[in-house]
Amino acid sequence: MSPSLLIWLVGGVLLLAAGFVTTLLPRLRARTRETRVAWSTARAAIDSATVSRDATAVRVPEAERLLARAELLAAERGGTAAARAATAHARSADELWRARP
Amino acid sequence: MTGGFLSRHLTLLRWVLLGVATVVLVVFLLAQRQSIDVSYGQSPAPSVRIEEGSAGELGEGTVPSTEEMSALVAADAVVRLPGAVAYWDEQRVREAIGDADIRILVAPPGLDEAERKRVRDVENAAVRVIGTQVGGGGLLAAPDTLAGWRAQFATGDVTGPLTTMIAKLRDAPAPPERDDLRWREPSDGELAGVLADLRAGGSHVAPGATLDGVPEEAARAAFPDGAWYVALPAQPHGEPLPAYGPALNRLAPDRPVVVMYGGWIEYHGPAAADFADLAGASFYAQFGDRLSRFDYPQRNVLGAYLGKVTDIRYAGLFDRPLPYRPLDPLRVALPALPWIFTGCVAGFLVLSARSLRRSGVLGAAGEPRLGAGAARLAGLTALAVEVSLLTDARSNPALTRGIGKLQAARAAVDEGLPARHVWQLLDDATAELDEAASVVGIPSYRPANYLQGRLS
Repeated sequence: MSPSLLIWLVGGVLLLAAGFVTTLLPRLRARTRETRVAWSTARAAIDSATVSRDATAVRVPEAERLLARAELLAAERGGTAAARAATAHARSADELWRARP
Repeated sequence: MTGGFLSRHLTLLRWVLLGVATVVLVVFLLAQRQSIDVSYGQSPAPSVRIEEGSAGELGEGTVPSTEEMSALVAADAVVRLPGAVAYWDEQRVREAIGDADIRILVAPPGLDEAERKRVRDVENAAVRVIGTQVGGGGLLAAPDTLAGWRAQFATGDVTGPLTTMIAKLRDAPAPPERDDLRWREPSDGELAGVLADLRAGGSHVAPGATLDGVPEEAARAAFPDGAWYVALPAQPHGEPLPAYGPALNRLAPDRPVVVMYGGWIEYHGPAAADFADLAGASFYAQFGDRLSRFDYPQRNVLGAYLGKVTDIRYAGLFDRPLPYRPLDPLRVALPALPWIFTGCVAGFLVLSARSLRRSGVLGAAGEPRLGAGAARLAGLTALAVEVSLLTDARSNPALTRGIGKLQAARAAVDEGLPARHVWQLLDDATAELDEAASVVGIPSYRPANYLQGRLS
């Protein structure tokens, strides 16, 4: 009875462990990847905004404020939500600068 | 195509394995509970304890006081109290007593505890017979063969125990056992009457018999295919017994026949040679003591006998065919369950590992599949280099932004980010380069045209 009982116990634990691992690992991985993608987008947007600022002759305080906030968010390295916010700020700053000659 | 088909089936198989493992586990757990109530032989014969007096064994007979009985015994060598049922061969008993002063007191069966004590207290009766139980001098004499029990219960003949007891009291050698019981063939008229009753209702109760119906449940368990029951009163001592059993067996050889003569039960029918003696001997060896002292109604005697028959049937002695019992798949499968379970767990683990590897968590993630993205990145980079030769101050920011996007796309490819994201960045770069090309004013440097030209 004892080896048989061991089979049931170990088998049950293995089943549970396999279930958790196969569910959680891909989810975890998808989340980190999503965060990295979001930051990649955010950095590209900030770079574009920086180039636009350098190319614009006049100062646009509103755009500079937005870009500063985006850079601050990027410096803090937050999660996906922070990256999305930084992207949005950088894009609106970029648009403000491009609207000027 | 085949790969996708196989993969879908393997995913399905993984969940099927998990389901089977769970079911097997549940079955195993439920079987643990079931394996508690295992009884030997699993005979359905009733085994409840019965209180004294509740089975109707106490008769209506009673006895006078000890003093009165002592006076009766002092006056007469053999005293029969009213209701006494024990008889014996006077000649043999007289010979056994010889010239000794051995007095016999015969009491009716079914006395309660106080009445039995009054009988035992009669000092001058050397032998006391209560019902058909012979006692004396602190000893009991009881038959131990089927012939002895048959004489005792079918006709109330206690000659054998009585002579044994007297020999013991006189320190004489015990007399040899004799079977004086006589049988006779039932007449055609008797047989026809019994047979008509049996064909109509399965049982025949002769006048004077105390059977008031066959105990249904016990009868079904003992003889599932039905049996004939013939109940006769105890035969008066000395008269031959009508042999209904063999006669009925000749008429219906395949039908079990149970014949009762008072408290004596005979079985005739299929497998009687193996079975009848075994059932009778085990029944009377167990219950003979109580049956001799008390006055059980025939229904209760028959019920107890049928219970014994059921026990014997279910014990499976002598390769007697058992009543059909359906194969229990659980009992058969139980030893294999751990291995089925192990197999299911192993399969589930393997397929889980495979699913993890495919989703890129385990081991090599594989090269990101962006052949088209890489080609587009290379083309756009070449375009950016060419345009940068012609650039001026006005078109600079768009080109610089486009190069920034291209660098971001390059980094994304190197980091192994999803192709969709890389494609998104390349789209942005394309828009910037398009703007730069339109500022420069050379249509062939617009990304759409340029890439087409490169590809063709």
